[in-house]
Amino acid sequence: MNSPDEMTPKERLLAAIQGKEIDRLLVSPLILNFASRSLNLTVSDFCANGKNMGDANIACFKKYRHDIVYIFSTTSTLAEAMGTRMYFPEDDAPQVETPFIQVREDLKKLRPVDPEKDGRIPVYLEAVKRCVDAIGNDVFIVPVIGAPFTTSAALRGTERFIKELYTDPELIHTLMKVATQSVKNLIDAYVKAGGVPVTVEPIATGSMISEKHFREFVLPYLKEVYSHIHSYNLPGVLHICGKTKRVIQCMAESGADILSIDTIDLLEAKELVGEKVCLMGNLSPADGMLKGNPEIITAMVKDCLAKAADNPKGYVVATGCEVPIKTPHENMIAFLEAGRRFARLPINLN
Amino acid sequence: MQREKTDILTTLAQAVIDMDIDCARETAAEVIRCKVDPYTAIMDGLAKGMDKVNELFENEEYFVPEILLCADAMYAGIEVLKPYLPKETAWSKKKVVIGVVKGDTHDIGKNLVKIMLDNAGFEMHDLGRNVPYAKFVDTAGELRADLVCLSTLMTTTMDGMHVVIEDLKKAGIASKVMVGGGPISPGFARNIGADGYAKNAAEAVKVANDIVQSNHFSPLILKTPELVSIKRGQGGTR
Repeated sequence: MNSPDEMTPKERLLAAIQGKEIDRLLVSPLILNFASRSLNLTVSDFCANGKNMGDANIACFKKYRHDIVYIFSTTSTLAEAMGTRMYFPEDDAPQVETPFIQVREDLKKLRPVDPEKDGRIPVYLEAVKRCVDAIGNDVFIVPVIGAPFTTSAALRGTERFIKELYTDPELIHTLMKVATQSVKNLIDAYVKAGGVPVTVEPIATGSMISEKHFREFVLPYLKEVYSHIHSYNLPGVLHICGKTKRVIQCMAESGADILSIDTIDLLEAKELVGEKVCLMGNLSPADGMLKGNPEIITAMVKDCLAKAADNPKGYVVATGCEVPIKTPHENMIAFLEAGRRFARLPINLN
Repeated sequence: MQREKTDILTTLAQAVIDMDIDCARETAAEVIRCKVDPYTAIMDGLAKGMDKVNELFENEEYFVPEILLCADAMYAGIEVLKPYLPKETAWSKKKVVIGVVKGDTHDIGKNLVKIMLDNAGFEMHDLGRNVPYAKFVDTAGELRADLVCLSTLMTTTMDGMHVVIEDLKKAGIASKVMVGGGPISPGFARNIGADGYAKNAAEAVKVANDIVQSNHFSPLILKTPELVSIKRGQGGTR
């Protein structure tokens, strides 16, 4: 590595949060199911148990030394633990097969999760614990939770769910309340396991719903989630992929301290909410990580930094969404190298 | 008292725009009672409303829930009018095969494109989601499809589009291909040899029209009863 770091990822994140001096900005590709590759596991094996998921992430961290280790396989894990049936492709992230709430009557069966025993949550808890034990001195272990709207959509079936924003708002709120309680229960369990939980709300993307619906059905519940996270003195992180220009103001009002964003110009995001929140993003996973090459990726990292490194509330170099599973190793190295080199403070892009 | 025809047509269009299924259904019944031509009612009423919806979507005033509900209203109206349409029509419609490629079950984007292309006068054949590559090729061959539309939301499945395009070529099928979905960029579309890329459902109509070079009047697909089989709930939509 041509630019050695002076701080461990953990020291860096801690200092950044506390507003202390850091050697460089954080560089955090959204390595999720991609971690399976570090132990040559298929994604289904990676998700199968906590040992695999934990050990793959440990191996991945030892290989790349990225600034944040995420524990994740799908945004629907909470919904799954509440009763939604999943489909597990051989080598891809699990997807919703049959939503739990088929008819309104099913709402009666809906309960907030017990993270210690429901669904596959114990897999994730074990993965978090293994990582905390093995690499927790060097890096924060960050389990990713599907936020209330995303969880509710997976409980009901997304297409039906978003139509019911109009046709059955009461059902939406009922789902959202239980989902929010589940999210809070899971936050508690992850914190207890030594993790720093963050939330993703991709169904509330501006590609899908309007700002009006975001305000009515998403924002109040996100506020509840982040105030719960803040009660642990932890920062709130909100990731929404797809187009977010229309909803980014709402995102910034949610109480989240860091917004992880995808399809929006970083300059625009900085202008709209940079005084309020730290930004994170938004190198293209497909055109950059998967289909790009080291040269392209280096240019993309520099472009992100040129636009957002001076964001008033801070900036984290990241991909806009999950790093594709088949991302070539040299592309990941290029991303991290470019980050380590060009995100050093003070910023010098030459 | 009977309303003016233009008044009824305006109400039909507005019912679609307002996502008002009941109003669309009732007004369609009024069409029959007042002996307004059902074909005109679809063309200049329901479909016109859906065109406006497309515009509202393009301007980001309408989003996904709105489009789905507007389409429900449109199809509810068509359902009422369908029995009164002529049994046979001589239109030659452009045939489109559409689906989400294997490995991916996210189909909302595909469904939006289907709705918009349907409304724009294409004959839609929906293969649903998680569709094996060979199914696209076989169906395109059997139907002699003018256009194959491939959708995916995931980076893990996007390369499947390339496979379908190659297989279509190998099989000697002349269908054009349009691709779209979250991770897809114009550059990727070009690299895999797609004939077109659409960034959203509204744009899909323009791109599809360009691709199939429908420079002649392309009639509304929905007026042909058998084609209304694409109505919601069939073809893999859940």
